[in-house]
Amino acid sequence: MAQAAQAEQADESAEIKKKIPAVKWQVPNKRVLYALAPVVVTSIYLFGWRSLLLLIVVSVAAYLTEFVFVRSYYKEPVTSAVFVTAFLFTLSLPPTVPIWIALVGIVFGVAIGKMAFGGFGRNVFNPALTGRAFIYISFGAYMTSSWVEPFKSFPGGFINFLSDATTKATPLAGGAASHLPLFFGNVSGSLGETSAVLLLLGGIYIMVKKAANYRIVLSGVIGMLAFQTVLWAAGVRNALDPLAAATSGGFMLGILFMATDPVSAPGTNKARWIYGALIGVLTVLIRTFSIWKEGVMFAILLGNMFNPILDYYIKQRKTKEDGK
Amino acid sequence: MSNGITFYAIFFAAIFTNNILLTNYLGMCSFLAVSREVKTSQGLGMAVAIVMAATSVLNWLAYRYILVPLDLVYLRFIVFIVIIAAFVQLIEMIIERVSDSLYASLGIFLPLITVNCAILGVCLFMVIREYTLLQAFFYGLGSGIGWALAIIAMAGIRQKMAKARVPKGLAGAGITLIIAGIMALAFMGFSGMIQIT
Repeated sequence: MAQAAQAEQADESAEIKKKIPAVKWQVPNKRVLYALAPVVVTSIYLFGWRSLLLLIVVSVAAYLTEFVFVRSYYKEPVTSAVFVTAFLFTLSLPPTVPIWIALVGIVFGVAIGKMAFGGFGRNVFNPALTGRAFIYISFGAYMTSSWVEPFKSFPGGFINFLSDATTKATPLAGGAASHLPLFFGNVSGSLGETSAVLLLLGGIYIMVKKAANYRIVLSGVIGMLAFQTVLWAAGVRNALDPLAAATSGGFMLGILFMATDPVSAPGTNKARWIYGALIGVLTVLIRTFSIWKEGVMFAILLGNMFNPILDYYIKQRKTKEDGK
Repeated sequence: MSNGITFYAIFFAAIFTNNILLTNYLGMCSFLAVSREVKTSQGLGMAVAIVMAATSVLNWLAYRYILVPLDLVYLRFIVFIVIIAAFVQLIEMIIERVSDSLYASLGIFLPLITVNCAILGVCLFMVIREYTLLQAFFYGLGSGIGWALAIIAMAGIRQKMAKARVPKGLAGAGITLIIAGIMALAFMGFSGMIQIT
Protein backbone atom coordinates (compact mmCIF):
# COMPACT_ATOMS: atom_id res chain seq x y z
CA MET A 1 0.00 0.00 0.00
CA ALA A 2 2.63 2.46 1.07
CA GLN A 3 4.67 1.71 -2.01
CA ALA A 4 1.68 2.22 -4.26
CA ALA A 5 0.94 5.55 -2.61
CA GLN A 6 4.53 6.61 -3.06
CA ALA A 7 4.50 5.65 -6.71
CA GLU A 8 1.30 7.59 -7.16
CA GLN A 9 2.86 10.61 -5.52
CA ALA A 10 5.90 10.33 -7.74
CA ASP A 11 3.62 10.13 -10.77
CA GLU A 12 1.78 13.20 -9.62
CA SER A 13 4.92 15.24 -9.11
CA ALA A 14 6.19 14.13 -12.50
CA GLU A 15 2.95 15.31 -14.01
CA ILE A 16 3.24 18.66 -12.24
CA LYS A 17 6.77 19.01 -13.52
CA LYS A 18 5.55 18.47 -17.06
CA LYS A 19 2.83 21.06 -16.69
CA ILE A 20 5.13 23.83 -15.47
CA PRO A 21 6.21 26.00 -18.39
CA ALA A 22 9.79 27.23 -18.56
CA VAL A 23 8.77 30.85 -18.10
CA LYS A 24 5.47 32.41 -17.10
CA TRP A 25 5.17 35.58 -19.20
CA GLN A 26 3.33 38.48 -17.62
CA VAL A 27 2.14 41.44 -19.66
CA PRO A 28 3.54 44.32 -17.54
CA ASN A 29 6.96 42.68 -17.42
CA LYS A 30 6.95 42.15 -21.17
CA ARG A 31 6.19 45.84 -21.68
CA VAL A 32 9.12 46.86 -19.48
CA LEU A 33 11.35 44.59 -21.56
CA TYR A 34 10.08 46.19 -24.80
CA ALA A 35 10.79 49.61 -23.34
CA LEU A 36 14.32 48.54 -22.44
CA ALA A 37 15.14 46.95 -25.81
CA PRO A 38 16.22 50.21 -27.53
CA VAL A 39 18.39 51.01 -24.51
CA VAL A 40 20.11 47.64 -24.86
CA VAL A 41 20.77 48.25 -28.57
CA THR A 42 22.18 51.69 -27.77
CA SER A 43 24.45 50.23 -25.13
CA ILE A 44 25.89 47.88 -27.78
CA TYR A 45 26.35 50.81 -30.16
CA LEU A 46 28.06 52.92 -27.50
CA PHE A 47 30.18 50.38 -25.68
CA GLY A 48 30.54 47.30 -27.92
CA TRP A 49 29.29 43.71 -28.04
CA ARG A 50 30.57 42.98 -24.57
CA SER A 51 27.41 44.57 -23.16
CA LEU A 52 25.25 42.00 -24.97
CA LEU A 53 27.44 39.17 -23.72
CA LEU A 54 27.11 40.55 -20.18
CA LEU A 55 23.34 40.78 -20.55
CA ILE A 56 23.06 37.17 -21.72
CA VAL A 57 25.28 35.82 -18.96
CA VAL A 58 23.41 37.76 -16.30
CA SER A 59 19.99 36.73 -17.63
CA VAL A 60 20.94 33.05 -17.67
CA ALA A 61 22.35 33.27 -14.14
CA ALA A 62 19.25 35.06 -12.89
CA TYR A 63 16.98 32.49 -14.51
CA LEU A 64 18.92 29.56 -13.06
CA THR A 65 18.98 31.08 -9.58
CA GLU A 66 15.23 31.52 -9.55
CA PHE A 67 14.76 28.13 -11.21
CA VAL A 68 16.57 26.34 -8.38
CA PHE A 69 14.32 27.99 -5.79
CA VAL A 70 10.92 27.71 -7.49
CA ARG A 71 11.30 24.21 -8.82
CA SER A 72 12.68 22.63 -5.68
CA TYR A 73 10.57 24.58 -3.21
CA TYR A 74 7.41 26.08 -4.61
CA LYS A 75 6.75 23.88 -7.68
CA GLU A 76 5.99 26.92 -9.79
CA PRO A 77 7.28 28.32 -13.06
CA VAL A 78 9.92 31.04 -13.19
CA THR A 79 8.18 34.36 -13.82
CA SER A 80 9.27 36.84 -16.45
CA ALA A 81 10.00 39.40 -13.73
CA VAL A 82 13.40 37.79 -13.30
CA PHE A 83 14.38 38.99 -16.78
CA VAL A 84 13.36 42.54 -15.93
CA THR A 85 15.63 42.24 -12.90
CA ALA A 86 18.46 40.90 -15.06
CA PHE A 87 18.04 43.65 -17.68
CA LEU A 88 17.94 46.46 -15.14
CA PHE A 89 20.87 45.01 -13.23
CA THR A 90 23.02 44.71 -16.37
CA LEU A 91 22.14 48.18 -17.63
CA SER A 92 23.23 49.67 -14.32
CA LEU A 93 26.73 48.16 -14.52
CA PRO A 94 29.84 49.90 -15.86
CA PRO A 95 30.94 48.57 -19.29
CA THR A 96 34.22 47.16 -17.99
CA VAL A 97 32.87 45.22 -15.01
CA PRO A 98 34.43 41.72 -14.73
CA ILE A 99 31.85 39.07 -15.53
CA TRP A 100 32.35 37.15 -12.30
CA ILE A 101 31.45 40.26 -10.29
CA ALA A 102 28.26 40.66 -12.32
CA LEU A 103 27.46 37.02 -11.58
CA VAL A 104 27.99 37.47 -7.84
CA GLY A 105 25.72 40.49 -7.90
CA ILE A 106 22.83 38.97 -9.80
CA VAL A 107 22.87 35.72 -7.82
CA PHE A 108 22.90 37.67 -4.55
CA GLY A 109 20.12 39.95 -5.78
CA VAL A 110 17.81 37.16 -6.89
CA ALA A 111 18.57 34.68 -4.09
CA ILE A 112 18.73 37.04 -1.10
CA GLY A 113 16.82 40.05 -2.40
CA LYS A 114 13.91 38.11 -3.85
CA MET A 115 13.70 34.37 -3.24
CA ALA A 116 14.49 34.58 0.48
CA PHE A 117 11.45 36.83 0.83
CA GLY A 118 9.20 34.24 -0.80
CA GLY A 119 9.74 34.90 -4.49
CA PHE A 120 7.88 36.92 -7.09
CA GLY A 121 5.56 39.60 -5.75
CA ARG A 122 6.83 39.40 -2.20
CA ASN A 123 10.21 41.07 -2.23
CA VAL A 124 10.51 44.20 -0.08
CA PHE A 125 13.59 45.58 -1.80
CA ASN A 126 14.23 45.84 -5.53
CA PRO A 127 16.30 42.70 -6.30
CA ALA A 128 18.36 44.32 -9.07
CA LEU A 129 19.40 47.13 -6.76
CA THR A 130 20.02 44.82 -3.81
CA GLY A 131 22.47 42.88 -5.98
CA ARG A 132 24.05 46.04 -7.32
CA ALA A 133 24.46 47.61 -3.87
CA PHE A 134 26.12 44.42 -2.68
CA ILE A 135 28.81 44.42 -5.37
CA TYR A 136 29.09 48.23 -5.34
CA ILE A 137 30.19 48.14 -1.73
CA SER A 138 32.16 44.88 -1.90
CA PHE A 139 34.11 45.59 -5.12
CA GLY A 140 34.16 49.38 -5.18
CA ALA A 141 37.25 49.70 -7.37
CA TYR A 142 35.74 47.72 -10.26
CA MET A 143 32.39 49.44 -9.97
CA THR A 144 33.46 53.05 -9.77
CA SER A 145 36.90 53.76 -11.17
CA SER A 146 37.40 52.32 -14.65
CA TRP A 147 35.07 53.85 -17.21
CA VAL A 148 35.40 53.85 -20.98
CA GLU A 149 34.63 56.56 -23.53
CA PRO A 150 31.76 55.55 -25.82
CA PHE A 151 32.21 55.18 -29.57
CA LYS A 152 31.38 58.41 -31.35
CA SER A 153 30.83 57.52 -35.03
CA PHE A 154 28.52 55.15 -36.86
CA PRO A 155 29.40 51.51 -36.93
CA GLY A 156 30.72 52.22 -33.45
CA GLY A 157 30.29 49.39 -31.00
CA PHE A 158 28.56 47.20 -33.57
CA ILE A 159 31.97 46.08 -34.88
CA ASN A 160 33.87 46.17 -31.61
CA PHE A 161 33.91 44.08 -28.47
CA LEU A 162 34.69 46.83 -25.99
CA SER A 163 35.69 50.44 -26.31
CA ASP A 164 39.33 50.76 -25.26
CA ALA A 165 39.48 54.49 -24.62
CA THR A 166 39.53 54.51 -20.85
CA THR A 167 38.66 57.50 -18.76
CA LYS A 168 38.66 58.05 -15.04
CA ALA A 169 35.58 60.20 -14.74
CA THR A 170 31.89 60.06 -15.53
CA PRO A 171 29.99 63.33 -16.05
CA LEU A 172 28.80 63.03 -12.45
CA ALA A 173 32.37 63.15 -11.20
CA GLY A 174 33.12 66.30 -13.12
CA GLY A 175 33.92 64.97 -16.59
CA ALA A 176 32.45 66.48 -19.76
CA ALA A 177 29.05 67.89 -18.99
CA SER A 178 27.30 69.75 -21.77
CA HIS A 179 23.60 69.07 -22.10
CA LEU A 180 23.20 67.60 -25.57
CA PRO A 181 25.54 64.56 -25.22
CA LEU A 182 23.99 63.84 -21.83
CA PHE A 183 20.57 63.84 -23.42
CA PHE A 184 21.47 61.56 -26.34
CA GLY A 185 23.83 59.36 -24.43
CA ASN A 186 27.30 59.49 -25.96
CA VAL A 187 29.02 60.10 -22.64
CA SER A 188 30.83 57.68 -20.38
CA GLY A 189 28.82 55.91 -17.74
CA SER A 190 27.04 52.66 -16.95
CA LEU A 191 25.75 50.59 -19.87
CA GLY A 192 22.16 51.68 -19.92
CA GLU A 193 22.08 54.95 -18.06
CA THR A 194 23.65 57.29 -20.60
CA SER A 195 20.89 57.99 -23.11
CA ALA A 196 18.30 60.11 -21.35
CA VAL A 197 16.06 60.43 -24.40
CA LEU A 198 15.61 56.68 -24.95
CA LEU A 199 15.02 56.07 -21.26
CA LEU A 200 12.45 58.85 -21.25
CA LEU A 201 10.62 57.40 -24.27
CA GLY A 202 10.65 53.92 -22.76
CA GLY A 203 9.50 55.33 -19.44
CA ILE A 204 6.59 57.17 -21.06
CA TYR A 205 5.61 53.96 -22.86
CA ILE A 206 5.42 51.91 -19.65
CA MET A 207 3.64 54.74 -17.82
CA VAL A 208 0.99 55.01 -20.55
CA LYS A 209 0.59 51.24 -20.52
CA LYS A 210 0.25 51.35 -16.71
CA ALA A 211 3.22 49.07 -16.09
CA ALA A 212 4.70 51.92 -14.07
CA ASN A 213 2.93 54.46 -11.88
CA TYR A 214 3.32 58.04 -13.12
CA ARG A 215 2.91 59.50 -9.61
CA ILE A 216 6.23 58.07 -8.47
CA VAL A 217 8.08 59.39 -11.51
CA LEU A 218 6.48 62.83 -11.40
CA SER A 219 7.10 63.49 -7.73
CA GLY A 220 10.58 61.98 -7.98
CA VAL A 221 11.60 64.27 -10.82
CA ILE A 222 10.03 67.32 -9.18
CA GLY A 223 11.66 66.57 -5.82
CA MET A 224 15.01 66.02 -7.45
CA LEU A 225 14.90 69.15 -9.63
CA ALA A 226 13.65 71.36 -6.80
CA PHE A 227 16.32 70.29 -4.32
CA GLN A 228 19.07 70.32 -6.93
CA THR A 229 18.07 73.86 -7.98
CA VAL A 230 18.28 75.04 -4.39
CA LEU A 231 21.75 73.57 -3.91
CA TRP A 232 22.95 74.79 -7.31
CA ALA A 233 21.64 78.31 -6.73
CA ALA A 234 23.26 78.33 -3.30
CA GLY A 235 26.54 77.47 -4.98
CA VAL A 236 27.25 74.28 -3.05
CA ARG A 237 30.46 72.57 -4.11
CA ASN A 238 29.88 69.53 -6.41
CA ALA A 239 26.33 70.56 -7.23
CA LEU A 240 25.67 70.23 -10.97
CA ASP A 241 23.05 72.39 -12.65
CA PRO A 242 19.60 70.75 -12.38
CA LEU A 243 19.22 69.79 -16.05
CA ALA A 244 22.63 68.12 -16.22
CA ALA A 245 22.01 66.39 -12.90
CA ALA A 246 18.70 64.99 -14.11
CA THR A 247 20.10 63.60 -17.36
CA SER A 248 23.43 62.30 -16.07
CA GLY A 249 24.18 59.25 -13.98
CA GLY A 250 21.53 56.67 -13.26
CA PHE A 251 18.71 59.00 -12.25
CA MET A 252 16.53 58.47 -15.34
CA LEU A 253 17.01 54.70 -15.33
CA GLY A 254 16.40 54.58 -11.59
CA ILE A 255 13.32 56.74 -11.27
CA LEU A 256 11.61 55.48 -14.45
CA PHE A 257 12.34 51.78 -14.28
CA MET A 258 13.57 50.82 -10.81
CA ALA A 259 11.60 53.01 -8.42
CA THR A 260 8.38 52.14 -10.25
CA ASP A 261 8.74 48.38 -9.76
CA PRO A 262 5.19 47.72 -8.55
CA VAL A 263 6.23 45.08 -6.02
CA SER A 264 8.69 47.14 -4.01
CA ALA A 265 6.86 50.47 -4.48
CA PRO A 266 4.08 51.52 -2.09
CA GLY A 267 0.47 50.46 -2.61
CA THR A 268 -1.37 53.68 -1.79
CA ASN A 269 -1.34 56.79 -3.96
CA LYS A 270 -0.41 59.21 -1.19
CA ALA A 271 2.51 57.00 -0.23
CA ARG A 272 3.59 56.93 -3.90
CA TRP A 273 3.89 60.73 -3.97
CA ILE A 274 5.93 60.73 -0.77
CA TYR A 275 8.06 57.80 -1.94
CA GLY A 276 8.93 59.49 -5.25
CA ALA A 277 9.85 62.78 -3.64
CA LEU A 278 11.92 60.98 -1.01
CA ILE A 279 13.94 59.24 -3.73
CA GLY A 280 14.46 62.50 -5.63
CA VAL A 281 15.67 64.42 -2.60
CA LEU A 282 17.83 61.59 -1.24
CA THR A 283 19.48 61.15 -4.64
CA VAL A 284 20.63 64.77 -4.63
CA LEU A 285 21.66 64.59 -0.98
CA ILE A 286 23.78 61.47 -1.43
CA ARG A 287 25.31 62.62 -4.74
CA THR A 288 26.32 65.97 -3.32
CA PHE A 289 27.43 65.24 0.21
CA SER A 290 28.38 61.59 0.70
CA ILE A 291 31.52 59.72 -0.35
CA TRP A 292 29.62 58.12 -3.25
CA LYS A 293 29.33 59.76 -6.65
CA GLU A 294 26.00 58.16 -7.46
CA GLY A 295 23.05 58.16 -5.10
CA VAL A 296 20.06 56.81 -7.02
CA MET A 297 20.65 53.22 -5.98
CA PHE A 298 20.88 54.02 -2.27
CA ALA A 299 17.97 56.43 -2.53
CA ILE A 300 15.67 53.80 -4.02
CA LEU A 301 16.71 51.18 -1.48
CA LEU A 302 16.02 53.67 1.32
CA GLY A 303 12.67 54.41 -0.30
CA ASN A 304 11.88 50.67 -0.44
CA MET A 305 12.80 50.42 3.22
CA PHE A 306 10.29 53.04 4.35
CA ASN A 307 7.45 52.01 1.99
CA PRO A 308 5.62 49.55 4.19
CA ILE A 309 5.55 51.97 7.12
CA LEU A 310 4.27 54.81 4.86
CA ASP A 311 1.50 52.58 3.57
CA TYR A 312 0.70 51.52 7.12
CA TYR A 313 0.34 55.07 8.46
CA ILE A 314 -1.72 56.21 5.48
CA LYS A 315 -4.09 53.26 5.71
CA GLN A 316 -4.41 53.78 9.45
CA ARG A 317 -5.29 57.45 9.03
CA LYS A 318 -7.84 56.58 6.40
CA THR A 319 -9.62 54.05 8.59
CA LYS A 320 -9.68 56.61 11.41
CA GLU A 321 -11.26 59.23 9.13
CA ASP A 322 -13.76 56.71 7.82
CA GLY A 323 -14.58 55.74 11.40
CA LYS A 324 -15.63 59.30 12.17
CA MET B 1 37.98 68.93 25.73
CA SER B 2 35.55 70.24 23.16
CA ASN B 3 36.20 68.83 19.71
CA GLY B 4 34.39 71.57 17.89
CA ILE B 5 31.59 69.58 16.26
CA THR B 6 28.30 71.43 16.40
CA PHE B 7 25.53 69.70 18.31
CA TYR B 8 23.15 69.60 15.35
CA ALA B 9 25.80 67.88 13.20
CA ILE B 10 26.10 65.26 15.93
CA PHE B 11 22.33 64.99 16.15
CA PHE B 12 21.84 64.28 12.44
CA ALA B 13 24.90 62.08 12.20
CA ALA B 14 23.60 59.95 15.08
CA ILE B 15 20.34 59.43 13.23
CA PHE B 16 21.65 58.81 9.70
CA THR B 17 25.37 58.42 9.04
CA ASN B 18 26.23 56.73 12.33
CA ASN B 19 22.92 55.06 13.11
CA ILE B 20 23.63 53.09 16.27
CA LEU B 21 21.64 50.09 15.05
CA LEU B 22 22.50 49.94 11.36
CA THR B 23 26.17 50.93 11.48
CA ASN B 24 27.25 49.70 14.95
CA TYR B 25 24.76 46.80 15.23
CA LEU B 26 23.98 47.64 18.84
CA GLY B 27 20.61 46.88 20.40
CA MET B 28 20.04 43.97 18.04
CA CYS B 29 18.28 41.68 20.53
CA SER B 30 15.25 43.85 21.22
CA PHE B 31 15.29 44.96 17.57
CA LEU B 32 14.78 41.36 16.47
CA ALA B 33 12.37 40.41 19.24
CA VAL B 34 9.98 43.37 19.36
CA SER B 35 9.71 44.35 15.68
CA ARG B 36 6.74 42.18 14.78
CA GLU B 37 4.12 44.89 15.08
CA VAL B 38 4.28 48.59 14.36
CA LYS B 39 2.43 49.58 17.52
CA THR B 40 4.73 47.87 19.98
CA SER B 41 7.86 48.97 18.16
CA GLN B 42 6.64 52.56 18.25
CA GLY B 43 6.35 52.28 22.04
CA LEU B 44 9.74 50.68 22.43
CA GLY B 45 11.38 53.13 20.04
CA MET B 46 10.02 56.11 21.94
CA ALA B 47 11.07 54.65 25.29
CA VAL B 48 14.59 53.98 24.02
CA ALA B 49 14.90 57.53 22.67
CA ILE B 50 13.86 59.08 25.98
CA VAL B 51 16.06 56.83 28.10
CA MET B 52 19.08 57.30 25.82
CA ALA B 53 18.85 61.08 25.93
CA ALA B 54 18.44 61.14 29.71
CA THR B 55 21.04 58.52 30.65
CA SER B 56 23.69 59.98 28.38
CA VAL B 57 23.40 63.22 30.35
CA LEU B 58 23.35 61.46 33.72
CA ASN B 59 26.30 59.29 32.83
CA TRP B 60 28.21 62.25 31.47
CA LEU B 61 27.75 64.04 34.80
CA ALA B 62 28.72 60.95 36.76
CA TYR B 63 31.80 60.39 34.63
CA ARG B 64 32.99 63.98 34.68
CA TYR B 65 32.30 64.84 38.32
CA ILE B 66 32.60 61.52 40.17
CA LEU B 67 34.68 59.01 38.26
CA VAL B 68 37.38 61.28 36.87
CA PRO B 69 38.12 63.28 40.10
CA LEU B 70 38.20 60.09 42.19
CA ASP B 71 40.36 58.32 39.61
CA LEU B 72 37.80 55.52 39.25
CA VAL B 73 37.46 55.59 35.48
CA TYR B 74 38.01 51.82 35.27
CA LEU B 75 34.69 51.35 37.08
CA ARG B 76 32.75 53.11 34.34
CA PHE B 77 31.07 49.99 32.95
CA ILE B 78 29.51 49.06 36.28
CA VAL B 79 28.62 52.61 37.17
CA PHE B 80 26.98 53.28 33.81
CA ILE B 81 24.91 50.11 33.96
CA VAL B 82 23.78 50.83 37.51
CA ILE B 83 22.78 54.37 36.60
CA ILE B 84 20.85 53.19 33.53
CA ALA B 85 19.03 50.49 35.51
CA ALA B 86 18.21 52.84 38.36
CA PHE B 87 16.95 55.53 36.01
CA VAL B 88 14.74 53.10 34.12
CA GLN B 89 13.23 51.74 37.34
CA LEU B 90 12.57 55.22 38.63
CA ILE B 91 10.90 56.32 35.39
CA GLU B 92 8.77 53.20 35.37
CA MET B 93 7.52 53.85 38.90
CA ILE B 94 6.78 57.49 38.14
CA ILE B 95 4.88 56.68 34.95
CA GLU B 96 2.86 53.99 36.71
CA ARG B 97 1.76 56.54 39.32
CA VAL B 98 1.08 59.44 36.99
CA SER B 99 -0.68 58.02 33.97
CA ASP B 100 -2.21 54.63 33.28
CA SER B 101 -2.47 55.13 29.52
CA LEU B 102 1.15 56.25 29.26
CA TYR B 103 2.18 53.27 31.34
CA ALA B 104 0.28 50.94 29.04
CA SER B 105 1.92 52.37 25.92
CA LEU B 106 5.41 53.05 27.25
CA GLY B 107 5.93 51.60 30.70
CA ILE B 108 5.77 47.94 29.79
CA PHE B 109 8.80 48.38 27.54
CA LEU B 110 11.01 50.00 30.15
CA PRO B 111 12.27 46.79 31.83
CA LEU B 112 13.34 45.60 28.37
CA ILE B 113 15.52 48.65 27.97
CA THR B 114 17.64 48.18 31.08
CA VAL B 115 19.70 45.58 29.26
CA ASN B 116 19.64 47.21 25.80
CA CYS B 117 23.27 47.33 24.76
CA ALA B 118 22.67 50.33 22.49
CA ILE B 119 22.17 52.52 25.56
CA LEU B 120 25.40 51.45 27.22
CA GLY B 121 27.06 51.76 23.82
CA VAL B 122 25.96 55.38 23.47
CA CYS B 123 27.35 56.21 26.92
CA LEU B 124 30.70 54.59 26.14
CA PHE B 125 31.04 56.25 22.72
CA MET B 126 30.31 59.58 24.31
CA VAL B 127 33.20 59.06 26.75
CA ILE B 128 35.62 57.82 24.09
CA ARG B 129 34.83 60.73 21.77
CA GLU B 130 35.13 63.25 24.63
CA TYR B 131 31.85 65.00 23.98
CA THR B 132 30.75 68.01 25.99
CA LEU B 133 27.50 67.85 27.95
CA LEU B 134 25.45 69.45 25.15
CA GLN B 135 27.03 67.20 22.54
CA ALA B 136 26.39 64.15 24.71
CA PHE B 137 22.72 65.05 25.10
CA PHE B 138 22.18 65.47 21.36
CA TYR B 139 24.18 62.36 20.62
CA GLY B 140 21.96 60.37 22.97
CA LEU B 141 18.76 61.88 21.60
CA GLY B 142 19.83 61.40 17.97
CA SER B 143 20.90 57.82 18.53
CA GLY B 144 17.59 57.09 20.21
CA ILE B 145 15.62 58.59 17.34
CA GLY B 146 17.76 56.72 14.82
CA TRP B 147 17.16 53.47 16.67
CA ALA B 148 13.41 54.15 16.80
CA LEU B 149 13.37 54.96 13.07
CA ALA B 150 15.06 51.69 12.21
CA ILE B 151 12.82 49.52 14.40
CA ILE B 152 9.64 51.20 13.14
CA ALA B 153 10.69 50.73 9.50
CA MET B 154 11.51 47.11 10.28
CA ALA B 155 8.14 46.58 11.96
CA GLY B 156 6.40 47.99 8.88
CA ILE B 157 8.26 45.57 6.65
CA ARG B 158 7.61 42.60 8.90
CA GLN B 159 3.93 43.42 9.26
CA LYS B 160 3.62 43.62 5.48
CA MET B 161 5.41 40.29 5.21
CA ALA B 162 3.22 38.57 7.77
CA LYS B 163 1.50 36.57 5.06
CA ALA B 164 4.54 36.08 2.82
CA ARG B 165 5.77 32.51 2.41
CA VAL B 166 9.35 32.84 3.55
CA PRO B 167 11.33 29.58 3.17
CA LYS B 168 10.94 27.59 6.38
CA GLY B 169 14.55 27.75 7.49
CA LEU B 170 14.57 31.52 7.18
CA ALA B 171 11.31 32.35 8.93
CA GLY B 172 11.52 34.62 11.97
CA ALA B 173 14.98 35.74 13.01
CA GLY B 174 16.63 34.61 9.78
CA ILE B 175 14.71 36.82 7.39
CA THR B 176 14.76 39.67 9.92
CA LEU B 177 18.55 39.60 9.94
CA ILE B 178 18.59 39.59 6.13
CA ILE B 179 16.28 42.61 6.07
CA ALA B 180 18.47 44.36 8.65
CA GLY B 181 21.47 43.64 6.45
CA ILE B 182 19.86 45.17 3.36
CA MET B 183 18.73 48.14 5.46
CA ALA B 184 22.32 48.63 6.58
CA LEU B 185 23.40 48.39 2.93
CA ALA B 186 20.97 51.19 2.06
CA PHE B 187 22.17 53.28 5.01
CA MET B 188 25.72 53.00 3.67
CA GLY B 189 24.53 55.62 1.18
CA PHE B 190 24.75 58.25 3.90
CA SER B 191 28.36 57.50 4.73
CA GLY B 192 30.79 60.36 4.53
CA MET B 193 28.17 63.10 4.82
CA ILE B 194 29.09 64.13 8.35
CA GLN B 195 32.16 62.95 10.26
CA ILE B 196 31.77 62.76 14.00
CA THR B 197 34.45 60.34 15.13
